[in-house]
Order: sequence, then structure tokens, then C-alpha cells
Amino acid sequence: MDLAASATASDRLDFSADDLLASEEGLAPLLANGVRCHGGFDADGRYRSPRTRHRTPAIRAWQERLLREGGELLQVAPELVPPQYPNVAQSKLLLGAGVRDPIVRALTTIAIVEGFGAIIRDVRVPELARLVREPLDGTAAAHLGRGLFEAHARDEAGHRDEGGHKQMWEAARDLAFESPRIPPDVLMRLLGRRGAGRERRRAFPSLDEALEGMLATMVNVLVIEIFAARTFEWGIALLSDPEVSAKPAEAGAMVSYIRSDESPHVEYLRTALSELRARTFVTCDGQDLSGRQVVDGLLHRSLRVLTTSRPAEQRAETRSSLADAMKAAGARSGLLEEFDALETPFTPPERTGFESAS
Amino acid sequence: MRRATRLSRALRIARAGVAIWLIYKVPALLRRVFRRPPPDDLGPSHERAARVLLSAALDLRGVVIKVCQVVATRSDVFPPAIVRELKQLHDAVPPKPFAVIREAIERELGKPLDAVFAAFDETPLASASLAQVHRARLHDGREVAVKVQYPEIETIVRGDLEEIRRACRLYERLDPQPLELLPLLTELATHLALELDFRREADSADRVREIFADDPSVVVPRIHREWSTSRVLVMELVGGLKVTDRDALAAAGIDPADVVQDLMRVFVRMILAAGFFQADPHPGNLFVRRDATHGRQLVLLDFGLSKELPDGFGMGLFELMFSMMTWNEAAMIRAFRELGFETRTGDPSTFVGIARRMMRRSDTGRFEGELTEEMTDELFEAIRENPVVRVPSDFVLVGRVFSLLSGIGHTLGRRANVLEAMGASTR
Repeated sequence: MDLAASATASDRLDFSADDLLASEEGLAPLLANGVRCHGGFDADGRYRSPRTRHRTPAIRAWQERLLREGGELLQVAPELVPPQYPNVAQSKLLLGAGVRDPIVRALTTIAIVEGFGAIIRDVRVPELARLVREPLDGTAAAHLGRGLFEAHARDEAGHRDEGGHKQMWEAARDLAFESPRIPPDVLMRLLGRRGAGRERRRAFPSLDEALEGMLATMVNVLVIEIFAARTFEWGIALLSDPEVSAKPAEAGAMVSYIRSDESPHVEYLRTALSELRARTFVTCDGQDLSGRQVVDGLLHRSLRVLTTSRPAEQRAETRSSLADAMKAAGARSGLLEEFDALETPFTPPERTGFESAS
Repeated sequence: MRRATRLSRALRIARAGVAIWLIYKVPALLRRVFRRPPPDDLGPSHERAARVLLSAALDLRGVVIKVCQVVATRSDVFPPAIVRELKQLHDAVPPKPFAVIREAIERELGKPLDAVFAAFDETPLASASLAQVHRARLHDGREVAVKVQYPEIETIVRGDLEEIRRACRLYERLDPQPLELLPLLTELATHLALELDFRREADSADRVREIFADDPSVVVPRIHREWSTSRVLVMELVGGLKVTDRDALAAAGIDPADVVQDLMRVFVRMILAAGFFQADPHPGNLFVRRDATHGRQLVLLDFGLSKELPDGFGMGLFELMFSMMTWNEAAMIRAFRELGFETRTGDPSTFVGIARRMMRRSDTGRFEGELTEEMTDELFEAIRENPVVRVPSDFVLVGRVFSLLSGIGHTLGRRANVLEAMGASTR
């Protein structure tokens, strides 16, 4: 996100929840396939993300302060990001052969998973003043439970009379593929699987459990948000392609709006994690534990899973249903081989860049 | 069923009907004569009426108990005082003598009891409105549960339904503002016909087992089809701890929070994802056990009331639940429509009203992605107060399931997070 370009310079570091949830005024509404969505268009016709009136300058101010005080903003190396599966060429091949279900399923799944992002509002923010040795006044970390998590949740699932990313992905899908039939197995593949969201192995048992829970959640969401860059590239390229999309301009633009809304999520998460990484945690028995050791340890664990086992599982699951989808669509023989030949190769890098703490 | 028995049942039903009618109409008549204003609270009258119904149900059993159980689940139609009183019937059905049960089994299987079973416990494990369950052992040593339908229950059900229908028609003719009871009765008759066919129950058990074929944490007892008929069901005996027994769970090292979350996850998968579900998750039908290989397991019993949802209904429900949990009013209104709710005028403002009511509730306290019993009740209350003329019956059944699950959560002192149960995870 180019925060500098989109924000008004400000030295202000403290904000109320209402401030961080406030949107620009006087925007023309964004209507997508009959659904009123968040955000809107300014007088120049530029899309403006929701709830960024103060949030964007706030994040910029917190980042500047961190750098000014000698801290560093953590970076995830771009080569760690796995490619989208299926990629644009593979998706176009399927659609061209009349095999629509895997793509419609993928878009519907993305919409639902985006909506699930709202669960971040349920993350328990512990009393950080007690658990962090150094003060946190005027930082992003001090604002997590004061508007930042809530703004994130509202962006993902929508709020009140406005749709969020869930509804925007659905609108993009329906625009591009003219309200397609949703494969009936979408929810069966997603919902109610054992282990979903519950059991978590403690990496730092000496740390307050709620603090570790919050940090682990933030780290995972940050990595997922960074990795989603590939999904946005895929969505924009595919849905704005007139060869496969019924409304290429509108559908592609919709995904690009979602992408711009996601930037503040990446930025506030990496800012707050960087702030905490530069501090010292107080363990349950009153000892000091380096913030860097904790944050890097959690990042390493998350990146390891999300660059190795998770993409492999997702690929296997998608591919396992392709043969059936091709058969149901009456696709020509040899299509699966052509599909496989177009796959983007990916070998996860040996190192995540955060090993030192683990 | 003998003619005299049928007549006496009809008279008992009529007596209850008249008593209830008088409970409401005599005070109304007196008020009119003495020109008194209507009472603020009809609660005491509702409680008296519910007690009359309860007494008739315990006398007549069978379909009358079923009717009362259905009433107890329809907080969208009936006042809370009635619903509260009749909820007792979920756990309080006395069993039939063993001689009656033995005769029923032998008639169904065409063999003496000991030709099929090496041992048969005369004391039932459970008794309900239509059938009771006994523990037994087959000659090959396998332990089984035998569910036996009460003799002549089909005829009794048919006769009672006819009498109740007659009473309802009379009530609708006499009362200037009657509750619409006949559609509920038709729905009940449909469910009863399904529940009385144990072959269908066996099919439902197999279907639910198939839904969880990849999930060893869910156990559905296997049916011994060779000894099962439409009135007798012989199934694998699967033990476990009663889902609401906190002490036993603690002694087994099982965290009640995990049990509540498992329950929510399992029913979310059946209802929203598979579109087929066991629709009667009261505590007697749910066990928890610890397996050496698979760890904590949830045992599902009794598939008599199982339901297939129409295509797309699961997705509609998902959208409704999701929008309620994420405070998205516009999406909630769309979901209401997709599910088949209809307003008297077709005006969406009714849905807006219901949605806003739900949203206001969310504003008053932290909601945490939960669908609570209070919230389900609140939704039904909102529907009752607004001119919604069609609430899909499938929705009512699903609402009841989540209400029962939330009740179990209350008993265990734990709450389920539905978003998490759906698979939402930020971890």
C-alpha cells in the first residue's frame, strides 16, 4: 500500500475506535450486481476504501514513529508466496472447455473465507500494559481492540446495509459468470471439519495464553493477507478477460477494489507485530522474553505451514475433483493433461527468513 | 384399536379442548359483562392451559405427547408460558410393561424373543412417545439396542390426529382471531408418518454415517438390518457419557467446551453442508466417549426425526446465520427472502424490522459470533410480532435444533462459537 500517497500527513498517534471506523464523506456508493457495497467513489471517480478516513493516516504515523525510533517493519519475502492454483492459464483452459464448476467453486470459497475473516473481532486482546515491559502508547498495537480489529472484520464480512469483501467477491463472480449455479458441495468442503479453528499447539507456554493466542492469530492473518496478493492478481486477470468474463470491466474492477481495501489490513498487522517485536514480553512468572523471539517464532511456524503443507493440500483437493468436473461437463479427453502442463511450478524456499528465533 | 377405546380417547381430547377454550373465553366474557379492560398479561391463563394439555398428554401419550412436543418447539407461534410448560414432555414419558413389548417384538420378527436374542433386559434404556428402547445381546455375542414401536400406535396416531384436527377446525370456526393450527397439524402428521417407519430411520442413520465417513470423531450406530422391520429396530449398542453430565465428562478428562464446539460443528456440517440432519438433538440422543484410537467422539442416536433440506436451503441458512453473526443487515434481508420467508404485504420493511431488532441486540453486548438460545427466541418473537405470513417449516426445525444445542451449552456452562464451528479460523 502506498500509504504516503493516500494519506494526509499527521503527527497524531492516538485515535478513538470511532475515528478508526470512520469513512470518507460524500462518496458515491458502490453498487455491485444490485448489492450496496462498502467504499465508494470520490469526485474524481477514484475508488476509496471504507473506514480509511483516519485509519490510513494513523497507520502511516505509527509506521513513521517505529522507524524514527530505530525499529524495523517486518517483511515477508515475496518468493515465499505460493502461486495461485489453478493459475490464470489453467482457469481459462477449464472455462474454455465448458468446465465452470471448479472456478465458480473457487470464487465462492474465496468469498466465504474472506467473510470468515470477521472472526478477528472475536480475538481477545489482553491487557498489554501488564504483559509488555515497555509502554505502547501511540502505537498500532495499542489500537488493536480500539477499532483496528473491528474495522478489519467489517471490511471482510460487511456491516449493516453495506456488503464487504464476501459480497464483493460474490458480485464479481456473478458479474463475470452471469450468476452461475453454485456447486452444491461448496459448503461440504468447507464447513464443520474436525479441528477447524480449535486446537492450537502452544509455542511459548511461559507467555500469557491470551497474548500468544492474539499474536498467533495476527501472524496467521498477516501471512494469509500477504499470500492473497496472488489470488487478487488471478482474480483481476481472469475476471477482466473478455474471453471468459461476461462483464470484464466491472468484474475485474470489483476485485481490484477488494485488493485496495486489503492493504490497510496488511499494514496495521505488520506495524503492530513490528512494534511488539521491538519490545519485551513479561512471562507468567515475571521473566523477560524477547518480542522478536516470539513474533519471529510464530511467523516462522506459520510460513512453514502456509508455504508447504497447506498449498499441497489445497492443490490435491482441487485436482481430485477436476476429473469429475470434466466428465460432468463433457470435456474432451486429454484436458487434464493439458491442464497439468500449464501449472506454475513452485518449490518453497528452504528458509522463511525468521528462523533465528525458532 | 377397540371402538370404546377410541371413543374414550376422543372424549378425553375433547374435554381438554373445551377446558382450554374455557380458560380463555370465560374471563373474556366476564370482562365484557363487567366492562373491564383486557389484562396486561395472559401468562397465568397460558400456564393453566398448558397444564391441561400436559395432563392430557400424560394420560393419552402417543400423538398427544407429540403434539405437545411440537408446540413446545414453536416459540414463533405459541406464547413462552405454554412453550416452557410443555418442554417437560421431552424427558417424561413412562414406559410400557415388558410383556407388551415382548409380544410386539415376537409378532414383528415372527419368532420367540430368545430365538433372536441370547439376553434381553426387561428394563428399558429409554422410553418415548412412540417407542421404547431395550438393551439385548445377540446369539453371536454382539450387544445391541432394540427399539420397539408401541403396539397399535399407528392406529392410535391416526385416530388421535383425526380428533385433534376436528377440535382445531371447531376452534378456528369459533375463535374470531384463531392461531393457525391446522398447518402445524399437517406438518406433524407428515413427520409422524416418517417416524413410524423404522426402515426409513435405518436409512437415515446410514446416511448420516456416510456424511461423517471421513470423520472418526462422529459415531452413528450400525443397524442390524436382518433383525429390523418397520416397527423394530436392532442396532449396535454404543455406550458413552450423557452429553450434559458435567461430572462424568470431567472425570473422563473431557473439556465441556470441546463437547459444545463438537456438537455445533457436527450439526453445522449436517444442516448447512450436507442438507440432511438428525433433527432431534435432545440430551438423551447424544453421548460422548473417549476412543483409544480416535480420541473424543460424539455418538448420535435416534434418527426417527431426520430431515432432508431442499436444494440451496443450506446455503441460504448459511447466509442468514453468517449475516446475523456479522451484523450485516442487508445480507440478512436477502437471506430471509432466499429461504422463502414471506410478509403479508410483500413489503421488505418487515424483514428490515426483524433484522434491525437482531442488530440492536448485537449492539447491546458482545455477540462473539454466537447463535444463542435467547437469540433464536428473540428472532421468533420478532417474527410473531411482525406480519410475516410464511416461516418455512424447515427453518423452524433447524431453529429448534440450534435451540436444543444452545440449551446443552447452557447446561454445560459453555458457549459455542458458530463461526468457528463452521470452520472460520484465523489461526
